[in-house]
Amino acid sequence: MGQAAVKGLFRWMPFLFGIGFIAPLIAQSLAWWDISAPFGMSRIAFGLLIGAPWGLYAVLRGRWI
Amino acid sequence: MADGPIGEAHVLDRDFAGVEAFAPATDRPAIPLAGPDGFDRHVRRDLRKQEQAIARQFMGGTMWPYVVAAWGGFALWVSLFPLTMLGIVPLWLAFVVSCVLATGGYVTSHEAMHSNIARPGSRYRWINEWVGQVSTIPIVFPFSMARLMHLEHHYHCNDPQKDPDYNDEAPNALMAWYKTWYNRQPGVDGSIHAYKRILQQMGTPEAARSLKETMWLQLFFMAALFTMAWTGYAIEAALVWWLPRHIGLSYIRFYLSWAPHHPRAGKTGRYENTYVFKSRLGHVMSMCMQTHIVHHLYPNIPNHRTRAAYFALKPVLEQRGVDITKL
Repeated sequence: MGQAAVKGLFRWMPFLFGIGFIAPLIAQSLAWWDISAPFGMSRIAFGLLIGAPWGLYAVLRGRWI
Repeated sequence: MADGPIGEAHVLDRDFAGVEAFAPATDRPAIPLAGPDGFDRHVRRDLRKQEQAIARQFMGGTMWPYVVAAWGGFALWVSLFPLTMLGIVPLWLAFVVSCVLATGGYVTSHEAMHSNIARPGSRYRWINEWVGQVSTIPIVFPFSMARLMHLEHHYHCNDPQKDPDYNDEAPNALMAWYKTWYNRQPGVDGSIHAYKRILQQMGTPEAARSLKETMWLQLFFMAALFTMAWTGYAIEAALVWWLPRHIGLSYIRFYLSWAPHHPRAGKTGRYENTYVFKSRLGHVMSMCMQTHIVHHLYPNIPNHRTRAAYFALKPVLEQRGVDITKL
């Protein structure tokens, strides 16, 4: 039970990484260079829009690129 | 020592594995003396004795700098987090220092893997263990896993089925760098993913403990990154830990695994599984790996003494068929 949960957590880790790290990294990088997010979005929304699908892609494909 | 049998009897048995044990039917000596390299048993024994006598001069020595480097380096690395978050140290400088510490940590850990800082049973054994424990935290590679997998690499060097580092093999340097990154992809059976699989197959209590420690360290790493990122320190987390870890892992994989062992296919013999090479970055920047063959022959010779040991051993190595032309 516990082992299956941990395996599941690690299986989905790239998705969590996309939300937990890539999204805020994108948002804060935009702020660092004083760049606005496109389409009037907030920077963190833009970060999530990139980070979450990218992480999901990494889970499904097994590759980040 | 935990590096498998190294005694003379074991070595002679192994070196003579291909020699016929019985008198052949054709017109040849009743007692075959020559081994696969053309040397007879006596020459081999003499060469091995010479080799061992020279090697013994370079074993041990001053090891406290490894302890200072490991513990001081770890303390410095931890301090980079508050120092960058408070804006005391510029990010570019912290990034450079962290890359050096993440990469160099493997060297100090490596000495601890071979118990070169303090042997089992020594009163200073705890120092050896704590040097190992802290050295590879920046690359999120627990010491227990690093030691088990590295010793497997020594036992089965270049065996495609049993050497845990075999999947670092690549046809050239450019592809080797690429592979250091490719092997870390989530769905690829390389790097730490392969190590986890091998540890599961080993099924020993040590392997189980190592898997557990790996899980906790990886979860801690992710928790630290996510927490820093969502509290406004994503760039600090990226430049102090995440990116230096990736750069360090690639550098270590290239210089400690690919460069001294390429090409690997079919090269499993004592004098052929590791090559002498000339690094464009020099001896120190290549982490003393130009003379890594000395380490594989005698893991008790510390990393910083392999170069001197190599030059002392060179005439014997040449006779054993090692290509010594590069250095």
